[in-house]
Amino acid sequence: MIDATHIALWLAKLKQGRLSPADLEQALQNLKKQPAESVQRLLYLQTHTTDLESPVIGMALVEGAQVFDGPDDPDDWPYQTVLEAMADGWHIIKFPELTMVYLDPDYGGMKWEFVLEK
Amino acid sequence: MNKAVVAGEQYDCQPTLDDQQVIDFCRNGFLMLPGVVSEEVNRRAVEFLDSHDEEEPSAILDEQWFVDGVIKNPAGAGAVRSLLGRDFVLPKLMANHRVECPAPALNWHADGGSVPRPQCDYLQVFYYPEETPREMGPTEILPGSHLYRGFGGFLSRLRSVRDSVLTTSPAGTIFVTFYSIWHRRSASSATGIRNNLKYNYWRTVPPCRDWKTDPDFDFSWRLFETPILNLRGAELLTWLCNEEWEHLGGQSWPCPAQRKHDHDQQGLPAGLRRHPC
Repeated sequence: MIDATHIALWLAKLKQGRLSPADLEQALQNLKKQPAESVQRLLYLQTHTTDLESPVIGMALVEGAQVFDGPDDPDDWPYQTVLEAMADGWHIIKFPELTMVYLDPDYGGMKWEFVLEK
Repeated sequence: MNKAVVAGEQYDCQPTLDDQQVIDFCRNGFLMLPGVVSEEVNRRAVEFLDSHDEEEPSAILDEQWFVDGVIKNPAGAGAVRSLLGRDFVLPKLMANHRVECPAPALNWHADGGSVPRPQCDYLQVFYYPEETPREMGPTEILPGSHLYRGFGGFLSRLRSVRDSVLTTSPAGTIFVTFYSIWHRRSASSATGIRNNLKYNYWRTVPPCRDWKTDPDFDFSWRLFETPILNLRGAELLTWLCNEEWEHLGGQSWPCPAQRKHDHDQQGLPAGLRRHPC
């Protein structure tokens, strides 16, 4: 299913002049191969804090058994907060691991992470 | 032909970093020296690497032109001298992250052997002999990550990171890193070979603030910046200055402020104060 995540990725590539027919052909093949309902899609969003409105500082998209980066420019990422992703139909399946900071404070940035599914 | 003798050799040269640059290294964990190696040395390095395409072409350390032009490069070695002190040990091993582009990004990681403590006894240095634009998959670095643990697979789930920096560079760029900084090879889209040499220098003397210092430099009242000089970075700076770390908390150093004040910040190490009690 084509959604905001794909559009954002393609738009960013288009702006950079890097959108190729191969990108669209791959998307088409993925659509043909498996019904969207049967394929788990995951979205990893790392945030500044545990707040759902906290700015997203990292992202990864998993779909079609592949892992994708977001666009180079964070302003082009599909969601700037977890709430925005939820509004687009993503469901949180894992909240940040609150115990980690107490177990070992040497683990620094990028530790607050939401995993979402569609 | 006389071979250069590098392995185990101690070396000294003029330090090139000033107080602000050392602070920036402490907060960022790396510094870039764009285009500091000559075109001739870059050309010879590429030729050498084309005929020695292994992962560890350490034989390049036997080449005098390479030792003089890269290992003892005045800007590169001067930065190393600033951070490791005099008589530092020259590299004993040369790695080359040589990749045929286009290639996917690698996982984020801190290199094996990372000890992310606020001491700087060795440095990891990179050298691009060729121009390395975005399309050739330059190393991507996360500023400020150098004093946090990143090993054990903790980082491999990460992909796009907002505050990361792509080390896009002209030919002849050297960049100096705190060993345990988080990094990865970024994805490349162009066609061709990307070389990225990687080597370490080692400290032999206790830390001392003997880089290009300014007696009037104001260490107090750091302004807000990204990344900030956090507690770990400040502890590293204190260690490099061979001062006593005595963080008090609250608004004491290195807590940032909106503007500078004309008095020293509480908690600033004694040797860094402009107005000693």
